[in-house]
Amino acid sequence: MAMKIGTDQFKERVDKGIHNSFMRGAVAGAQDGMGIKRRLATEELGNWEDWRSHGEEIRQHVLKYLDYYLEQLSENVAKRGGHVFFAQTKEEASGYIRSIVQKKNAKKIVKSKSMVTEEISLNAVLEKEGCEVIETDLGEYILQVDDHDPPSHIVVPALHKNKEQIRDVFKEKLGYTKTSKPEELAAHAREMLRKEYLSADIGITGCNFAIAETGSFSLVTNEGNADLVTALPKTQITVMGMERIVPTFEEMEVLVSLLTRSAVGQKLTSYITVLTGPREELDVDGPEEFHLVIVDNGRSNILGGEFQAVLQCIRCAACINVCPVYRHVGGHSYGSIYSGPIGAVLSPLLGGYDEYKELPYASTLCGACTEVCPVKIPLHNLLHKHREIIVEKEGKAPISEKLAMKAFGLGAASPTLYKLGTKMAPAAMNPFTVGDKISKGPGPLKAWTEIREFPAPNKERFRDWFKNRDKGGK
Amino acid sequence: MKVTLFATCLVDLFQSNVGKATVELLERLGCEIDFPESQVCCGQPAYNSGYVKESKEAMKQMIDTFMDAEYVVSPSGSCAFMFHEYPHIFKGDPVWEPKAKKLAEKTFELTQFIVEVLKIEDVGAKFEANVTYHTSCHMTRLLGVKKAPMILLKNVKGLKFTELPGKEQCCGFGGTFSVKMSQISEQMVDEKVCHIEETEAEYLIGADAGCLINIGGRIERIGKPIKVLHIAEVLNCL
Amino acid sequence: MSGMIQNREKFLNQIASRLDRPRITGLVERPKWAFQPQQEVLKDASQDELLEVLTEQCKKIHTNLYTTELEELPATLDEVVTSYGGGPIVTWKDARFSKWGLDQLMKKDWPKQSIDVYEWDYTKGEENIAKAEQANVGITISEITLAESGTVVLFSDENKGRTISFLPATYIALIPKSSLVPRITQAAQKMREIYQKTGHVASCINFITGPSNSADIELNLVVGVHGPIKASYIVINDL
Repeated sequence: MAMKIGTDQFKERVDKGIHNSFMRGAVAGAQDGMGIKRRLATEELGNWEDWRSHGEEIRQHVLKYLDYYLEQLSENVAKRGGHVFFAQTKEEASGYIRSIVQKKNAKKIVKSKSMVTEEISLNAVLEKEGCEVIETDLGEYILQVDDHDPPSHIVVPALHKNKEQIRDVFKEKLGYTKTSKPEELAAHAREMLRKEYLSADIGITGCNFAIAETGSFSLVTNEGNADLVTALPKTQITVMGMERIVPTFEEMEVLVSLLTRSAVGQKLTSYITVLTGPREELDVDGPEEFHLVIVDNGRSNILGGEFQAVLQCIRCAACINVCPVYRHVGGHSYGSIYSGPIGAVLSPLLGGYDEYKELPYASTLCGACTEVCPVKIPLHNLLHKHREIIVEKEGKAPISEKLAMKAFGLGAASPTLYKLGTKMAPAAMNPFTVGDKISKGPGPLKAWTEIREFPAPNKERFRDWFKNRDKGGK
Repeated sequence: MKVTLFATCLVDLFQSNVGKATVELLERLGCEIDFPESQVCCGQPAYNSGYVKESKEAMKQMIDTFMDAEYVVSPSGSCAFMFHEYPHIFKGDPVWEPKAKKLAEKTFELTQFIVEVLKIEDVGAKFEANVTYHTSCHMTRLLGVKKAPMILLKNVKGLKFTELPGKEQCCGFGGTFSVKMSQISEQMVDEKVCHIEETEAEYLIGADAGCLINIGGRIERIGKPIKVLHIAEVLNCL
Repeated sequence: MSGMIQNREKFLNQIASRLDRPRITGLVERPKWAFQPQQEVLKDASQDELLEVLTEQCKKIHTNLYTTELEELPATLDEVVTSYGGGPIVTWKDARFSKWGLDQLMKKDWPKQSIDVYEWDYTKGEENIAKAEQANVGITISEITLAESGTVVLFSDENKGRTISFLPATYIALIPKSSLVPRITQAAQKMREIYQKTGHVASCINFITGPSNSADIELNLVVGVHGPIKASYIVINDL
């Protein structure tokens, strides 16, 4: 799976989303539930704004000196006997990993959840090599068993599925015989996956935060799957987006705290694991060989430009969990593994405007995303920035809209034209007006009045009333 | 106190009763109102759609129009916020950035002006009805006005207030979003109307014409017995 | 042995060029951060207050918390193990078990009751993992304990296998009361201190907060997914 998911056009995707009533119920429930948990977990600190500011200053500092910290990280990983591969493209990244798989003659690979490996289509590349690639995060595992259904949320990937659907998939694909109780489903996955961890040749993980000073990296989970992926196979490969780095443990802990509170309202998740290099000489568990793959894949083009702040992202999904648009259309509507507000900002940057030109408009610019972002990414401003570029640099806006906006520019800037236009409005709208409302509007009003009434222009504009009142000598 | 009214184009054209209520209310509170005829639209519809160049012309016109005002007051949180955005939009422009800053500093949303500048929390209004209130996104999140309308409504005699469930959720207006993404907008405004119904309020009150036209238009289309009023109209009831 | 680094120069040069400056060759000082809210949490709390916070937090993380005097530790540990259905048990190889008077229980009483106790032994290689996989209970010791989140911190080495805390069906952490700190902030500072003093970091540092769990199915919380299904903490009054 690459970053892009599905082949439907935006409108079809939204249509499917809106008509998927289970998914919408699940998303609304998730937003409400996770929203409350996040709010409680952030408010109880009493100084959440300071936490956000600290998160922001850490991320900004790291981006400013990114080459320095990545160099330091790679030196320290190598010192501990780990190998580091810098991959500018997705092909370089997956090619390097494929070469390790070939060298190890690996047949079975266990993975813990990683967005960047989705981005570089890693599973497809490895499966083509004849490997069995097994996702171990429960949500990812469910999707994988269900013929690689794409994720719809960056933290809860199978949010769009209900337990009956999962039971049916397990029945069909895994010979499952029990009920749709989540406990029983999870127990079955546990049993299936236990065998896989113990027999896998390679473990692959993502990376929440790398730590430059020590050459370490941290993994954050609730299930403990990442710990088994990194403790049992003899070879471990960790893939990180190049911006996911901090100077020292001290900054790591702040970002981990921001992440767990914002993502799931937990003070910390059940497992936070800090790994450094391969196992030590006398250790029994942990990998004998460790590879760190640092991926650019379009990120450096964002650096130094007006979208740089998006690289501050720590993938908590708080913005997704408050977005009123995501609430109604679900993750698959975004056509990208990155959904919600962060996806609408990031996907056009990594995947191009041709593919993702609608996403920046899938927002009312209500600012809910910006308000909750734990590292203060001005998400709604960046969505607006995309619109500006789509209109002014890319020229991808519809012609009718361009003409209308041109007229707006002329009309609104000239008080005379503006006054004339608004004066003529009641007469112009007269054919469409019944009583004091318009139920079937022309032009751009058509889309409005398909859903709701539009008020007829006042016979007497406010400005006329004001003027007449003045004349009347109050 | 001299107040220059920034009525907004929606009020000028479609909601003149809101403009009238605003004038009467402010006069009752001792303000002298001025309405410069050369005001146009704040540029938000074009700006938010990405037409920055086109919208800047309207913005300049507005900056000039309100240059000499002492206080600029608007019965719309979203439009007042737009004036606060001007300095960012003209950032680096040696002529317009300083002018935009001056305008932003003296621009207030109506309830914010009454509570923060006039220091009045009870306008002496009376309105006997069950109501709920829609907190518009731009006004609360971006302009940061959360408390003022609540303070003023609390002191209206006879008014029974029920909080709107999911009040921080956008109503689905979003300017051109409402027509560009009409299918999504419909789902959003429908959920908003459901929540309003849950409160069993007779009136939905708001402080932004855009949101109110959106929610009100949907309520009317699906035939719900809920009336929509701008907060200026409620505060102007004696 | 040092690892290989590939493709670095081109990659980092691209970053520097996008940032519109030459590559950084000198040292970048960590800035003096303008905000430090993490230092404020439970700032002046005593060990007793921290224990109270930990006790409350354990209710939220599905973890049973026991407090015990040193003399009572064998009885308490026995009680918890019994409640989990007995052995097999796997533990770290750690002198503290003996120091805390657990030899009688671990080496005599339990074996007498046919409860198999396996102590991690790196010379036996893979057998350790097989033992951990078959175990019903894993027992380890918390080096630093975070009151705010209810977290135990473990540092791996040859005698402290990582999988003891993950493969067995249930998990018990022994917590010296003296190891309590307000939050992860103090653990991170300690980790840095150790690194700066010794130039070394344990290859695996685990922050464990209760049993494993998942909300991936309809956001229903399921306790016990890949790691332990149940977890207990025993706080030992060592002060």
